[in-house]
Amino acid sequence: MRLLYQILWKDHSRVHLLGAFLGTLAGFVLLLAGIQFYMDIKSVLSENRDLLDPEYIVINKKVNIANTLGLTGGGFTEEEIAEIEAQPFADQVAAFNSNEFPVQAYTEGDQVPNFITDLFFEAIPDQYIDVKSEDWKWDPETGTIPVIIPQDYLNLYNFGFAPSQGLPQIPKGVLSMINFKLRLQGQGRGNYDDYNGRIVGFSNRVSSILVPVDFLEWANEKYGYFKKNDPSQIIIVSKDPTDPSIIRFIEEKGYDTIREKLKSSRMNIILKLVISFLVFVAAIIIGLAFLVFLLSLQLMISRSSEKIRRLNKLGFHYREISRPYILLLILLMAGITGLSLLLTSVLAGQLHQRAEAWSLNISSSLHGIIFATALGLILLISVANVAAILISTKKLCK
Amino acid sequence: MTIRLEKMIPLPMLEQDTSGSEVWEAESLLLEQGKPYVVEAPSGRGKTSLLSVIYGIRTDYQGVVSIDDRDLSSFTSKEWSLIRKSKLSFIFQGLELFDDLTALENIQLKNRMTAHHSDERIMEMARVLGIDPFLQRKAGILSFGQQQRVAIIRALCQPFNFLLADECFSHMDRENSLTAYQLIREECEARNAGLILTSLNETGLPNIDHSLRL
Repeated sequence: MRLLYQILWKDHSRVHLLGAFLGTLAGFVLLLAGIQFYMDIKSVLSENRDLLDPEYIVINKKVNIANTLGLTGGGFTEEEIAEIEAQPFADQVAAFNSNEFPVQAYTEGDQVPNFITDLFFEAIPDQYIDVKSEDWKWDPETGTIPVIIPQDYLNLYNFGFAPSQGLPQIPKGVLSMINFKLRLQGQGRGNYDDYNGRIVGFSNRVSSILVPVDFLEWANEKYGYFKKNDPSQIIIVSKDPTDPSIIRFIEEKGYDTIREKLKSSRMNIILKLVISFLVFVAAIIIGLAFLVFLLSLQLMISRSSEKIRRLNKLGFHYREISRPYILLLILLMAGITGLSLLLTSVLAGQLHQRAEAWSLNISSSLHGIIFATALGLILLISVANVAAILISTKKLCK
Repeated sequence: MTIRLEKMIPLPMLEQDTSGSEVWEAESLLLEQGKPYVVEAPSGRGKTSLLSVIYGIRTDYQGVVSIDDRDLSSFTSKEWSLIRKSKLSFIFQGLELFDDLTALENIQLKNRMTAHHSDERIMEMARVLGIDPFLQRKAGILSFGQQQRVAIIRALCQPFNFLLADECFSHMDRENSLTAYQLIREECEARNAGLILTSLNETGLPNIDHSLRL
């Protein structure tokens, strides 16, 4: 009924309603843009997961002076391994085995300079190794031990050592062709055997000299006489390397790892902090704006209280009297929803354009959760306000 | 429709001497549809209170008031608004017009609830009461006498079984009062409605069968 609206809308305060409208709008845009931004970055992080290859996280204990003095071991105890296995982010955990006997590598022949060096071996199950090679198997018959060395070692030589010493750089293929001897020494003088060694691959993931697990088990059985040490490195497989609890756990325990690999986990922590701050601010703004809304409408009703009583005397039910207020509320809320979604999608479009320049794949459209959040909040605010309107008009009516 | 009052007295009236009152002292007072009643009494005897109690906007009374043998206190807000739309109409002493609306809009506000009268009929009533030149003016700038006539027309723009008229001629001259009274009686007869009319002094209005002393 037009006249009813004419009567009751007269007593609104434009400044209050506009303030509440703009405040709520600002809060909404902040909140929705925050969520949109968070979802985008999250998807970028998980897309880049393969690139960073951090599903395999190798951790070790930090070396401290107590280790040096031999007071404490540098390895992981069984309890510590069990604790790591119990972490929700650790889908698979494996400890490194190491040799329990002395190993020496040496070369012979004319093609390469002669050298001899003490060496160590470590082994982890094949599924953790990023090198796939047909030669990666131990056959006692042939007596050739396949070895994987870190890519970093080769890089150090090729790009650091060789140029500075005037030595030639060695390509991977050539290094793989070099035959060298491995001498495994058991306890007692003269108790040793020589085997052929071959580098079959270079690992980007593991900073250690790897041999097949079954070989190491066999060799430890045959030659081993050292006291068995706790494994000094652990490899963890995590499905979600962006999980911030990984880095938290590692830092809390004082473990060490290649930081670069946990970049996404670290970024996630920072992102979550920023977003939660944003959401906190948005919540305060929305909360305050909601209060201003509530109070503006209540003020409007109390300014019109005489008119409301009069309308009630003329036979209008308080529900009919509430309608103009509820319609006003709905109009304002619809405006806020529409405008905040529009502004957020404009912001998302801007972000999309900038991200494209950095070749990041950020969606230009709004995520579904944005609509859900906006509608949910609007509904909540509306329901609370409608209830308040009905209560206060009812109070004025008989 | 019947309205029954059983030892009903508004609480403020309890402090007054009400002996001899045909309303406050009545064991059971029955007001019947189709009959005109006049309540004549000086100020402060509870004329407005009586109508307000019947209309449900005052609940501070003791005793029992019932419409069609149903206690008023049992009516819900929904029922009250239905009653005020189609069973009881009230010409308020304080008029209760909206100053910002025109005289016509004030009347239409009521008429549109039930679409009882046509626009032509409203114009005709306004002509009879001599306020047709003022219909497009804001009610707030009309004289009290003109406003009273707007309020009378508004009260006639709905179905009713009883019309409650609270000192509705107080600011009109004798001639205008009689014309307005004639219109009210016509409209009541058209609906076979009862009329409860209060007045400060002797009205001297014709065709009043029942006079009640407060």
